[in-house]
Parts: sequence; structure tokens; C-alpha cells
Amino acid sequence: MSTTAVLRSEWIKMRSVRSVAGSLTAVLVVTLAITLLAFSTVGQSEADNVDAEPVFDAFYALNFGQIAAISFGATALSSEFLNGALRISLAAVPRRNLFYAAKIALVGAPALVVGLVTSFSAFLVGQLFMGKYAIGLGEPGALRAAFGGGIYLALMALFAAGLTVLLRSAVAVLSLLIPFVLIVSFVVGDVAGGAAQYLPDRAGQLVLHQNPGGSLGPWGGLAVTAAWAAAALLAGWWAIRRRDA
Amino acid sequence: MTSIDVHELTKEFGTTRAVDNLTFSVRPGRVTGFLGPNGAGKSTTMRLVLGLDRPTGGTATIGGQLYATLGDPLRRVGALLDAQAAHGARTARNHLLALAVSNGLGARRVEEVLEEAGLGAVGGARIKTFSLGMRQRLGIAAALLGDPEVVMLDEPSNGLDPEGIIWIRELMKRLAREGRTVLVSSHLMNETSSFADHLVILGRGRLLADLPMQEFLDSRSRPRARVRTAESTRLRDVLIRKGYEPAQGDDGCWTIEGAKAGEIGAIAATEGIPVLELTDEQVTLEQAYLELTADSAEFASVSAPSANRQEA
Repeated sequence: MSTTAVLRSEWIKMRSVRSVAGSLTAVLVVTLAITLLAFSTVGQSEADNVDAEPVFDAFYALNFGQIAAISFGATALSSEFLNGALRISLAAVPRRNLFYAAKIALVGAPALVVGLVTSFSAFLVGQLFMGKYAIGLGEPGALRAAFGGGIYLALMALFAAGLTVLLRSAVAVLSLLIPFVLIVSFVVGDVAGGAAQYLPDRAGQLVLHQNPGGSLGPWGGLAVTAAWAAAALLAGWWAIRRRDA
Repeated sequence: MTSIDVHELTKEFGTTRAVDNLTFSVRPGRVTGFLGPNGAGKSTTMRLVLGLDRPTGGTATIGGQLYATLGDPLRRVGALLDAQAAHGARTARNHLLALAVSNGLGARRVEEVLEEAGLGAVGGARIKTFSLGMRQRLGIAAALLGDPEVVMLDEPSNGLDPEGIIWIRELMKRLAREGRTVLVSSHLMNETSSFADHLVILGRGRLLADLPMQEFLDSRSRPRARVRTAESTRLRDVLIRKGYEPAQGDDGCWTIEGAKAGEIGAIAATEGIPVLELTDEQVTLEQAYLELTADSAEFASVSAPSANRQEA
């Protein structure tokens, strides 16, 4: 049984379930749609605000794209936990490490590609509407933010993927992560001060700032998110190795 | 050839012992019926054989190897565990293709098994549109993908229409004739008796019997003859005179406990009583099974086998 064969098999499984392929596409589509909507309407007027941050604000729509990325990571793995589908999969590929690695690779790689495309196009498309406020990728920190944004999306997808294997349910993961990303992180983030920068989404988003405050720095923040994702993936690996299918 | 060997296998879920020190072998060249009430441990045993569940103790091997160590396992072992497990959003073809590709099998083999399972026309349809019977056929198609020498089917005739039941029965017999090892679980006795050569019977996770089906039926049968005649009263009187205890059923036939058809035929011939029908009755698998499970004391409370043996 070759690694290529298992990767091909998992690729067929992934692209043949609409909700999985759909949520990956949604990362780009949702981000661009929100970018178009926001920048064509309030883009320039917001840029006049005293607390406007041209680089960070350019990636505003990633807030929504990351929800699609989380959904992609969750649904890509959760299809194995419906009605004992995992049994069919593991009967075909009983080497659980290989099976899990192939699955995770096929979440990470597409999420990274789509994430980078999304991050760069969100930046470039948004600036088309900014008139005299427009900045380019040459703006200090902009290129780093665009790359970082793509990596951030991939890490969030992997974070969700690992948690899904641990909890064996996309519904559980989505109802945990989406409110967390949308609400808890905002509220706690303002209250908790220094510790909040270590939350998985807050840490990773530091890379989007031209001058991220705090002690982590842009790449340090992304590394914290990577650590969260790695912890979730390790937990998932433990679950897939140890548990009865 | 490859057999399935289960050795002192035990599986506990929390405090429940689903499989309890089970030892048996499934040999090639015959269909082995795997019987037991719901919850007896049949499915758990199959999952343990496939390495899906981790045994608490003991081993289950295929041709002496653990399932997880088989190279391309679908080429050695084909299994149907749960027809509902296939993801509804996929087409039947993609479902099979993903399985095939992982074990180095091609798209052509997928088309072959789709045809063989009678799903050729619906290969491109999403599985969620399938009836239970079609899902069952898809599960069997998946089991056949790798042309395996060992086939394990868990309740394969669930939801199949009469035509499908005949198809699966003939398929299992053919696979056994070809020298493969075939293990088929069921809780339907009449159905199992139509295809099984050998039986492995479980109760509460323990082995109750492991023997050829005919031997099992013979061991549970007492001689009993059944006769139909136009001269009922005369026959009855003669038989009673000879010390038999004929009993008349609703259909007008007489059954005589403890007698063989040959004895009754000879008596009727000497008396000149015309006989319209005369047979030795054999116990059905269902009756034999219920007696067996009643014998094992712990079953007395859960199943109440009827004292009157019904007509074969």
C-alpha cells in the first residue's frame, strides 16, 4: 500500500462530497464578496477614521473567510464519523498513521493554496475601491500580512480538522469554534489584555497588522496559532490511533 | 488457503463483555453461518477480525496475519459491515473508486463489481438516493472489489428484495465453491439454512456451537413421520393398536412422534391403507437453534422457545 495510492484515494473522497469542496471554495468566495461589499461602500469613509489601519483593514474580510476555512477543516474530517464510515476507510487502509497523515495533508495543502489566493486577492481587490487611500503590496508589512493571512487560514482549517477527529463531529467543532472566533475572542480579547494575544485566532491575526503591539510580533503570533493547530492535530492523531473505529 | 482464526478473543466495552474468550476457525471452501441473537457479539467479532476494534485479550488473524499487517487488505479480505456507512453525498462509483484506488485497484474493477451487484445503471447516482437494498448491494460490491479470498458479510440480506436475497445466496455459495472463506452473520434462521454449510453460534459473547449444519440438525432431531391419507380413522386405529401416538394437525395430516416414515409406510401397506403423502420430518434450523439457546441456561429468561415444534 503506497502513500500515493492513499493520497489519491483521500483526494477522491474529498472532492466527491459537495459540502467539503463547497466550504473550501467558500473561503475565497465569501472573503471576496465581503471585501467587495465593504470596500465599495464604506471603504474610503472608514479610512478617514483616526484609528484606521490601512494594512490590517485591508484584510477585514478574512474574519469571514476563516469561518469557511474552519468549516472546510471540520467537514473534510467529519464525513468519516458519520454512520461508521471510518470503519470502511480503515478496513481499506488499516495503517492508521498513514490514513491520518494523508487526510491532514489533503486539508493543509488545499487550504494553504486557497488561503494564499484568498489573502492576496482580498488585499488587491479591496484596494481598487480605496481611491487616494489605496496602498500597494509595497507598503511596509503588506506583503508579510498577505502571506501570513494565507498561512493563518490554513492553520485554522488544520486546527478545526484535528479537533473534529478528537470530538468526532463537525457540529461540535463548529458550534465551539465559530462562536469563539466571532464573539468570545472579541470580548475576552478586550478584557484580558496580554493573555488574549495567545488565543488561536488573535495570535495568528497579529501577522495582519503593520505594527502589531504586544510581545509576540507578527510571526511569533502565527507560530502560536501553529502551536494550537499542532496540539489539535496531535490530539486527533492520538484519538485515531487509540480508539476503536 | 486462508482461514480466519479467532483465538481466546475477548472484548470488553466498559464493564460489558461483548466477546468472551472466543475460539473458532472459519475454513475455506464452505459458507459458515455466524448465528446468535442481537447483541451476541457477532458484529464485534467481525470488527475485531478487521482490526477496527482493539481486543481486550486474545487474537483474531487472517491466514495467520493480523489484518492491519496485510499489504493491500481489500485484495485479501472483503467485508460488509454496515450498508448505511457509505457517505450519502458520494456517488456509488466514487465511493468504490476511493476504496479501489487505495489498494491499487483500478476504475475498471469498479465497473465490474457495479455490474455484478446489479448497480451498473445507477453508478453515477448519489448514495443518499439509494434504497436499503441498493445500499446493501453497494456494500457487497465493495466487499468484492479486490477479488478477495476471504469474505465477511454482516447481515447481507437486510433490506434486499426476494430477487436480491436469491442473488446473495447464490453468490455466497459460488464464492465458497471457488474455494474462498465465507463468513456470513445473520439472525434469520430460515435464510441461513438456505446457504450455510457450517455454523458458528454465539450467545452473550460465548461460543455455543461450531459444527457442520447437518450435524447440528441431526443432533437436535428426533424421528418423526408425517403422513396424509384418505382413510384417516382407519390409519389412526391401526397406529394406536401398534403402540404409536398419532396426532392430527389442522391440515388433516397425521404426525407420529418417534416413528420413521419407513415404519409407517410398511404398516399402511400391510393394512392396505392408501397413503397420499409420507415423509420424515426434520427439525428446522430455527427450532434447533432455539433449543440450543434454551439449553444454555442464561438464555431462558431472554428467549422463550415454544414447546411445540412447528411443522418443518
